[in-house]
Amino acid sequence: MPELTFTPVIGIEIHIRLKSDSKLFCSCSTDTDAPANTNICPVCMGLPGTLPRLNHRVVEQGMLAGFALNCGIRPKSLFFRKSYFYPDLPKGHQVSQCDLPITTSGYIEVHDAEGKLKKIRVHHLHLEEDVGSLHHSASDGRLEGADTSYVDYNRSGTPLAEIVSEPDVSSSAEAVEYVMTLRRRVIYSGASEVELEKGMMRFDANVSMKCSDGRWGKKVEVKNMNSFKALERAIEYEIKRQKKIMLQGGEVKQETRHWNDAKGVTSASRTKEFYRKFIVEPDLPPLIISQEWIDRVAARMPEMPDVRANRYVNDWSIPREVADVLTDDRNLADYFEACVKAGANPVRAAHWVRTEVLRVLNENGQKISDFKMKPEVLAGLVAKVDDGKLSTTQGKEVFDYMCANGSGIDEAVKALGITEGGVAGNALADIVASVISANPDVLDEIKSGRDKKGKKLKFLQGLVMKETKGQAKPQEVAEAIAEAVK
Amino acid sequence: MELYELNLYMLTEGLKAKKFSASEIFESCKNRIDKCEDNIRALITRTDSTPQTSENPEGVLGGIPTILKDNLCTRGIRTTAASKILGDWKPPYDATAWKLLRESGAVLMGKANMDEFAMGNTCGNSAFGPTHNPNDISRVPGGSSGGSAAAVSAGYVPFSLGSDTGGSIRQPASFCGVYGLKPTYGMVSRYGLISYGSSLDQIGPFARTVRDLQLVMSVISGHDPMDSSSFRDKAHDFTHREDVSLKGKRVAVVKEFQGFGLDAPISEAMKRTLKVLEDEGAIITEVSLPVVSKYAVACYYALAMSEAHTNLERYDGVRLGYTVKDATGIKEMFERVRSYGFGAEVKARIIAGTCLTEPTRCEEYYVAATKVRTLIAQEFSRAFGETDYIIQPVTPSLPGKIGEADDDAMKGYETDLYTLPVNLAGLPGLSFFTGYAGNLPVGLQLIGRRWSDSELLDAGIILERHLGSPKIADGGQATARKKLYLEER
Repeated sequence: MPELTFTPVIGIEIHIRLKSDSKLFCSCSTDTDAPANTNICPVCMGLPGTLPRLNHRVVEQGMLAGFALNCGIRPKSLFFRKSYFYPDLPKGHQVSQCDLPITTSGYIEVHDAEGKLKKIRVHHLHLEEDVGSLHHSASDGRLEGADTSYVDYNRSGTPLAEIVSEPDVSSSAEAVEYVMTLRRRVIYSGASEVELEKGMMRFDANVSMKCSDGRWGKKVEVKNMNSFKALERAIEYEIKRQKKIMLQGGEVKQETRHWNDAKGVTSASRTKEFYRKFIVEPDLPPLIISQEWIDRVAARMPEMPDVRANRYVNDWSIPREVADVLTDDRNLADYFEACVKAGANPVRAAHWVRTEVLRVLNENGQKISDFKMKPEVLAGLVAKVDDGKLSTTQGKEVFDYMCANGSGIDEAVKALGITEGGVAGNALADIVASVISANPDVLDEIKSGRDKKGKKLKFLQGLVMKETKGQAKPQEVAEAIAEAVK
Repeated sequence: MELYELNLYMLTEGLKAKKFSASEIFESCKNRIDKCEDNIRALITRTDSTPQTSENPEGVLGGIPTILKDNLCTRGIRTTAASKILGDWKPPYDATAWKLLRESGAVLMGKANMDEFAMGNTCGNSAFGPTHNPNDISRVPGGSSGGSAAAVSAGYVPFSLGSDTGGSIRQPASFCGVYGLKPTYGMVSRYGLISYGSSLDQIGPFARTVRDLQLVMSVISGHDPMDSSSFRDKAHDFTHREDVSLKGKRVAVVKEFQGFGLDAPISEAMKRTLKVLEDEGAIITEVSLPVVSKYAVACYYALAMSEAHTNLERYDGVRLGYTVKDATGIKEMFERVRSYGFGAEVKARIIAGTCLTEPTRCEEYYVAATKVRTLIAQEFSRAFGETDYIIQPVTPSLPGKIGEADDDAMKGYETDLYTLPVNLAGLPGLSFFTGYAGNLPVGLQLIGRRWSDSELLDAGIILERHLGSPKIADGGQATARKKLYLEER
């Protein structure tokens, strides 16, 4: 009997917080870090008699995110009421575009096990409102068993995009690449900042297994993953669990399972999902998006990171690895391009940004937006090193000094006692002369021909280099000494 | 004549001419309420214990007392929707319609009784007990806006606001003998109206003359950014004009409704009204509404209940209103709050709405109803190519005795056939007074095209001119006197 093989079939649902100053259906601030229940109003509290009104800026954010996933925009979409009871859901239903979403289908490219490019189809992206957040008095922070629970509605009504993939993902690695690529593209589009540590991206995965003997396992929905790592681990755990059941001839139950990140396991969810057909939200008219509006928002779409990286490789001969690093963050790539625009050699500038700028940012725990040195200034420094006015070592010293003190190039050069262009010609000849006159015995030894291995010459060269504070070219120092001892 | 007997227009004119003061009006209305309220029970909350000062004495409604149906949110004033579940909730905001009245100078005398969450047509499904018809206190005032209609009929205030989801303004107006307008959907902002069926709900006024309706509409209509379904286009002019005419206008009866039985005074009123219209030069015609006559009732209740059950999901005891402190877990809390807080009719409609949208039946009921609704709107739109107005009864019968209609709920639903298609198509409908049958008023309904509300009221002016205006209802005074007389003997 041939050994059974299993192919995971995985679909991923992602919730992303869209970037917006105000909520989806009211004008409250989206600052969820504010003291509890300070950014609320009758609308996002779902008070009787209140009505939602759609924030058109958020619609544009949704469109941008859709473009980032290669989706089209539907000229007419609807909002629905998704009903369930929970204390953090003020209206008892969530207003969501689940049945007729703002975008049509799209895709994200990832690498399969053989390293070949493969498309993960995006079924759609839709807009919906977030719920409030619960704080439980129980020691484990969960609702069950808590004596008292408190609700903070600051998050209620903040705008979300839900992105639903087709079941095209075949491994945890593909899943992680899918969400990472997707995240990078969405950040690029300006639709969201997707700060993972602030819970701005949450994942659910639908995992099932196809067996080589023709059996198909039932679909299991795994919920509650808030990081790339959690997504990867949860999928791996679920693949293993389902494979084991199927190998033992059992049947995988169709169910919702909860990922427990601390224990590293999934467990059957205790709450029963009550499926209900959604009714149209009668308080909101259909969302009509004209071609003119689509065009206007599309014009705001920046070049996507993969396209940008290709351009760096093809137009500027920047190594692929460096290009990928530079384009990972839109602001970093913008910074780099500003350096090039200011006249820096692209390959050199790429190298400087990749190594020096990122090193300083990492050391200080900063983002490129916090970086004080203007790209034109860095371009100037790169040019000076390129032209040989500063050695590479000096360049780095100047760079560090500028970062630490916020100074300009000239100030840094002066403070470090550097002579631009190095010590050469008469200045070098003078130093050589003074070094030789201070060491007559060494000169005698060289002249007598006893310095067969050139050790004494090297000794003089070292002294001269020291006197020039390393600002002379070694070749020129050697030549000047050879001339002087003739 | 007492000041409470004056209609809205006369009060505003008298105030302008300084014939009397706003505080005299307030006192007169307050006394009238004191005198009748024990018999009628039109109000859930009274706000007239201290003289209310007008926010804008110079405004078009400066110093005019009014009453609001208790599903309109009033800042800092208890708003109950006639349900236990809202407890003593005091909204932190005003409904837009009330804000506009307030800013025009109106002062609030109280919040009117209604069927719980506007579900009902008798004003008997209220957690605060039934309201009595001021014309005959043994009879229902109609519903759901029964308290608002009764208050105007009994002379508590010259005008009031109600809401109409399937006839809830027009039917009580007819039963109480006042004028009531259900405006075009989107004409008056719904912001702050506690929702029943959001796509059907519309706020509108009650008054004792059509001209007074015009005045109120000029204040409460208009675009409101807080309500996405409120109109954005041209402004509507509700200015009163005397030189209005129905000459050459087509007024149609509905062919399919002609076979249905009507109480004699109602068919009598219809004949008289058609004669008035003909004498005014109108062309009486007939339109056919086959889909409406067959499916409107089923379609209406499927949609209203589907929307209602989601609108009522927010009452969970977490943020406001009635709650329980000793529940074990949230499930028990929700169950106990909702079991105790909602009345029987509301629970029936929540359950119906849940079933109608349940996945195995959703296509068959809710989705089908949305499609039928489109057909109904198209049918009306075609009909209004053939006519300018449609005239029909408001109800097939005169107001029944209190407690009578409660036995057969389905009968209650079917009596709404004449009113609820208007909500399905978003049309304006005017309930107008035609005369009395004994001590009971008899009303009829005139329906216009979407956004033709001002023309509809112009037609109402002509009808009122010929049919006469209603008088202030006795308000249970005769019955009270009789009772007193019997007791004394």
